[in-house]
Amino acid sequence: MLGELEQIVLLATLRLGGDGYGVPIQDAIRKATGRDLTLGTIHKTLVRLEDKGFVASRMGEASPHRGGRAKRHYEVTPAGLKQLRASVRALRRMAAGLPVGLEPT
Amino acid sequence: MNANPPRVATWLLEQLLPEESRDAVIGDLVEAYDAMRSEHPVRARVQYWREAIAALASLQTTPHNVTAYTPATRESLMQSVLADVRHALRVLRRAPAFTILCAATLGLAIGATTIIFSVVNPILLRPLPYPDAEQIVAVYERDRDGSASRVGYATYKDLRSRARSLQHSAAFGDWQPTIFGSNDGERVQGQRVSWEYFRTLGVRPLLGRDFTEADDTPATNNVVILSHALFTRRYGADPAIVGRTLNISGVTRTVVGVMPPSFDDVMQPDAQIWRVLGYAESDGWACRTCRHLQMIARVRESVPLASAAAELDGAAKQIATEHPSSYAGEGALTIGLQEQVTRNVRPILLVLLGSVIFLLLIAGANVINLQLARAVRRGEEFAVRAALGAGRRRIAQQLLSEGLVLTSIAALVGVGIAAAGLPLVTQRLPEGLPRVSAVGLDWRVFAFVAAATLLVGLAVGLVPALGAGRARLFDVLRGGGRSLGGTHHRARAALVIGEVALALMLLVGATLLGRSLVRLMSVDAGFDASNLITMEVQAAGARYDSAAHVFANHDRIREVVAALPGVESVGLTTQLPLGGNLDRYGVIAQDKPLPNPELAPDGERFTIGGDFMRTMRIDVIRGRRFTGAEARDSNVKVVIVSQSLANHLWPGEDPLGKQLRVGGPSRPWREVIGVAEDIRHTGLDATVSQQFYVPERQWFGAETQMTLVVRTTSDPASLVGAVREAVRSVDPLQPIAKVATMDQVVARSTSQRRLGLMLFAAFSTMAILLACAGIYGVLAGAVSERAREIGLRSALGATPRAIVSLVLRQGARLAVVGLLLGVGGAFALSRYLRTLLFGIEAHDPVSVVVAVGVIAAVALLACVVPARRAVRVDPMTALRSE
Repeated sequence: MLGELEQIVLLATLRLGGDGYGVPIQDAIRKATGRDLTLGTIHKTLVRLEDKGFVASRMGEASPHRGGRAKRHYEVTPAGLKQLRASVRALRRMAAGLPVGLEPT
Repeated sequence: MNANPPRVATWLLEQLLPEESRDAVIGDLVEAYDAMRSEHPVRARVQYWREAIAALASLQTTPHNVTAYTPATRESLMQSVLADVRHALRVLRRAPAFTILCAATLGLAIGATTIIFSVVNPILLRPLPYPDAEQIVAVYERDRDGSASRVGYATYKDLRSRARSLQHSAAFGDWQPTIFGSNDGERVQGQRVSWEYFRTLGVRPLLGRDFTEADDTPATNNVVILSHALFTRRYGADPAIVGRTLNISGVTRTVVGVMPPSFDDVMQPDAQIWRVLGYAESDGWACRTCRHLQMIARVRESVPLASAAAELDGAAKQIATEHPSSYAGEGALTIGLQEQVTRNVRPILLVLLGSVIFLLLIAGANVINLQLARAVRRGEEFAVRAALGAGRRRIAQQLLSEGLVLTSIAALVGVGIAAAGLPLVTQRLPEGLPRVSAVGLDWRVFAFVAAATLLVGLAVGLVPALGAGRARLFDVLRGGGRSLGGTHHRARAALVIGEVALALMLLVGATLLGRSLVRLMSVDAGFDASNLITMEVQAAGARYDSAAHVFANHDRIREVVAALPGVESVGLTTQLPLGGNLDRYGVIAQDKPLPNPELAPDGERFTIGGDFMRTMRIDVIRGRRFTGAEARDSNVKVVIVSQSLANHLWPGEDPLGKQLRVGGPSRPWREVIGVAEDIRHTGLDATVSQQFYVPERQWFGAETQMTLVVRTTSDPASLVGAVREAVRSVDPLQPIAKVATMDQVVARSTSQRRLGLMLFAAFSTMAILLACAGIYGVLAGAVSERAREIGLRSALGATPRAIVSLVLRQGARLAVVGLLLGVGGAFALSRYLRTLLFGIEAHDPVSVVVAVGVIAAVALLACVVPARRAVRVDPMTALRSE
């Protein structure tokens, strides 16, 4: 079972295809949820997800506009996708039939 | 704004982040920063720091608890320290009551220490604000009793021309001019200085020019230099003032310069205007025995102060042999200027610094004590950590960080308290204290606070750490804290004993100062200070060019004020008792010729108008007061002397009808018509109090500046406005200054003692409370640790009485040992208070007994709560827990 933070970060990473890294993930979360997670939190979560095998990362090219520092791109692995599916499904089942405005339309 | 992200934050990240995420994270931070920078440059930097701190907090390898116990070799020192600080903050947050108590008590003590240090720092520790200030000295004639005496102008000129080791030297005196505007007159404090005064100090005017030798003659003596404060306040900081003329006390004088705002005249901190001395050696007041000038000198850089002092001494001896009838003592005294200007406040400031450091020690001991108490309860926590692989050093490091973090919080609280409290203390500092303008929280004060905090923090951290290191950890795990309790108990008892001893020493000091003040205030000053209004009035300017005009002005002022309802009587005097204005003359008796007139006893001169003596209620014990007609006749020469002066001049004889003379051989003989009670003029603690009184029309000339004293039938404060208006109605242009009731004047003359007492009392009250909190803590801890034993005892039939006495005995042991040590310490240290005491000995047994009694009583109270708790221990609960 994924934690809430893990779910959100995983979903954001998924949204960005294989090119996601810290800053766009932060932006995506901010736009979708209004939550301002720090980059530190996001990286920490990504490291944990990678340890669990739910994301895979590769180092990008060093680019001059980041002070010459390379990006670490993250991609959701099949295991991660499976886990995400299970989590979201579980959430939906838990909400099903409850008058909380989440019933499938 | 710098385009690069904050470098310190980046550096920290580079040092502390794990390698695998370092580049990615820093790169992300830089990218986010760059995106924000163009629109919100400041917010971008703030955000970068926020992100950096958050990244450090969340990304430093795995969870904290484990980090804390991995051996230090595997982490960088910086990482482990950061982890410790975070851990300490968490521990402190989990015990809010403990944290707040420690931060508040230690913070108060650090705050008090900071306040005292920031007062002591500019006055005693920092050099005076002049270039090469250590080369500046004050020069005095050595009086016949070896004390320092001011110099006459002729002596100053001789010393100046003979001493080759002096680069510059200057003489100066007091000057209180009135600056007239178009419709007002303002009295300001000034100084009359010889032309090299500012050169001696090494300070140059900001605008215009310095005085020159050509200014310093009777004919050219018409230029002034303004202080920056006066320049800004009265002339709107308009540089055009330089070169303009001002009407100063009726004389036209040209402004030639303005001093810089940073200039602090330590000889006369209130001085706002300077004029040249402008004496000629032929002037009557320039004589050798006219000792009213002070002298300062700048010693050449290559010359050691000691050889300059020796040269001046030799020159002064030579001068005395050339003019034997003008000198009673011989030689010159040379004193470093800083030592000279701080001489009066040095003892009280050093004693206060010492006492506040005592307070800091007590507060520190108290926090250590609380930490030890917690360490006992946290014994299991430490044991578990040790079992998980933390070395003793690692646990000690942890405790040390806790101590340092705790004291750092307290230091922040303390600096806040100091910032709030410092103005309250500076306001109450005695008037005329040098360098008060420089009192403040500057980097030196912060460095001192940081050093003090570090020391206390090390102690707070190390003492429990040593105890924890020594404890046998597995015993703790097995035994639930008892063995750790043993070592800590002795440490805590020792700390409490130390606190009680220090608190007693402070309280003895406070009691000594308090008893001194009580003694001082019950001194018979020789006059009645109640229901008196005093104010300085002046008859300055062209309209008062003749003595007759001045006297007419004084008579008119007395008439209009006496006519006010509620006014009983009115007088005028050149010297207000305890007002800080001193004018001494050698008094010669006609029938007692002296080989050297300088051997004549000194008398404090009071030139008076109206019913001064009746208004002040200075009793005439023999003879009579001046009659009105006699006082108005300038051809009559009569004088009233005080009892001590009469005894000195005519021991065993009737002074009435005798003749005396002051001011030199050319002055008239005066007939003694009365003997008055001595009054205290230089201070309530004055040792010399010999006065003589002369009616104003019979003095050498008209005194244009006098103090009006008004006796009222009711509360004087309510009449001040009416008196002021009445005086103003006589001549609205004449300034009124220093309006105060006589009670206020008396209180002000003891302000230094009052401030010292107030601070001492505050420190010792805090010290007592802390020491008793310590006693309480130790006893409460002991009762809960010994609950089993106490329960067993009461189960075996011990009466509540026996149990109470068990606890009280333990408390009494701590208090008695502490008090004994404290009495010893008080006897050893109270001699440093000697110069601040009045009417009692430094080893005053009453003060010691009072202080011991107070602390013993409060300590007993501190024992009561734990004793009652011990009685209530339920034997069954206690036994069951075994």
